[in-house]
Parts: sequence; C-alpha cells; structure tokens
Amino acid sequence: MSDTARFPSYVAIWSWLVALLVVGLMCAFLPFGKAMAIFLIFTVAVAKAFLVARHYMHLRSESLLIYAIAGLPVLLLIGLTIALVPDIVFRR
Amino acid sequence: MTTAATVAAGGRIPSGKLAIWWFLASEIMTFGGLLAAFVLCRFAGGGWEDQAAHVNARIAAVNTLVLLTSSLSMVQAHRAVEEGSRGRAATFLLITVLLGLTFLGVKGFEYSREIEHGFTPSTAPFWSFYYGLTGLHALHVLAGVLANAALWIAALRGRGWARVAPRVEYAGLYWHFVDVVWIFLFPLVYLS
Repeated sequence: MSDTARFPSYVAIWSWLVALLVVGLMCAFLPFGKAMAIFLIFTVAVAKAFLVARHYMHLRSESLLIYAIAGLPVLLLIGLTIALVPDIVFRR
Repeated sequence: MTTAATVAAGGRIPSGKLAIWWFLASEIMTFGGLLAAFVLCRFAGGGWEDQAAHVNARIAAVNTLVLLTSSLSMVQAHRAVEEGSRGRAATFLLITVLLGLTFLGVKGFEYSREIEHGFTPSTAPFWSFYYGLTGLHALHVLAGVLANAALWIAALRGRGWARVAPRVEYAGLYWHFVDVVWIFLFPLVYLS
C-alpha cells in the first residue's frame, strides 16, 4: 500500500474542517430562516463529524466489527429519541 | 510483540483497539442520551432561546478551532508512531496536550464570565444542560490531556516505548471522539 493511501493528507482534511466551521458560523449569522439555518448548521456538523471519523479515526479502513460496535449505539440512540418524541414534545 | 492475549476477533483486531471502541460505544450512549434530552426538552419547553442568546459563540468558535487543530496533531502523532519516529510522536503529543489545555483554559474563562453575569446551573433549564454537557465534555478533554501527557513522557523517556507506542492510536481514537462530541455540542448549544 502506498504511503498516500495509508495516510491521507491530514492537513488537507483539517483545512476542510476549518472551512466547514466557517460555513457553519456563516449559516448561523446570515439572515436565513430559523429552520433553514438549523438544517444547514447540522448538515455542516454531520459533514465535519464524518471527516473526523473517516479520516482521523480511520473508519475508512476498519472492519465490519468496528462499524457494528460504533453503529449499534447510534441506532439505539436514534430509536430512543424518536420513541420519546410523543411523550415529551407533544405532551401538554 | 503480538500475543494471543492481545489479539481478538478473528486474530485481526488488537484487543486494545477493540476495548477502546467498546468504551466509545458506551460514550456514544452517554453523550447521545444527554444531547437527545437537551433537544427534546428544548422542543418541549419555551424560553430557551432567550437564555441561549447569552452564550458566547465567538469564544466557542475559537475553542472549536483549537480542538480541530488538536485532532490534526493527534493524528500526526499516530502517523509518526507508524513511521517509527519517536521524536516526532513526542512533539505532536506535546502539541496535542498544549491545545487541550488551551481548550480547557478558554472554557474556564467562558465559565467565569457566565457565572459573573449570574448564569449558574440553577438559573434556568438551559443553563443546567449547558453546564452539564460542556462540563462533562471538559472532563473528557482533561482525561485525554492526562492520557496524552503520559504518552508524551513515555515517548521522551524511550524506555519501553515499543510496548507503549500502539496506545497512541487508542488515545487518538478517544481524542477524536471527544472532538466529534464537540462538533455536535457547538452548534447545538451555541448556534441554534
């Protein structure tokens, strides 16, 4: 395996992360609608998290077992949150 | 040296790495549960936006940059270990430790300003979540700083480094996870 394949350009990924940070801040302070701004801010956050997990945590070269260990709690969490919405958000 | 005791899951994944991923899975549930509670309570109750307007997004943005940069230095430390360069690994670990301490210092300054203005955990539900979430995150940063500092000292000494070196990857996984948590905490608490 080539050195570039084993080690992606970490500085380039950091540059992307900083650029996304700036984009996220712009979304918060530019005159978008509230819902659109929140959607954009969290889309940017997911993109940043993806970059860190894939390249810095090396998930791109990990086995299925690691994906399962990391993915299961995420799925549980999403399920738990959705299940609680009727009780907490719509309870009056 | 890789022994039967240090290898798990079909002989491919080192048990140390498997253990840190199990730990991170539990951490996902811990932070995820708190973040989900924050979002649900915010939807359920009114008046949070007025309170949230008092946090300082500019200081937090600087801290985000600090943490993102510390992730870069941490991954460079791991790379140095893979390339067999103990000296470079030590340098990058030291940079990571210093950036982690910077994050904590800035966070402390932020807390002091907020408390000075009368915003304490008992002020409103938003502030309870704010101090709970960011405080728990700061404790995780502190734990990462201590782990990285221990690795930095081991790298400087050099004795037994071959045995310790793989732990840089494990510490890195933890450190990047703490970074990912902040990536979601920052917009949730400061921007939305």
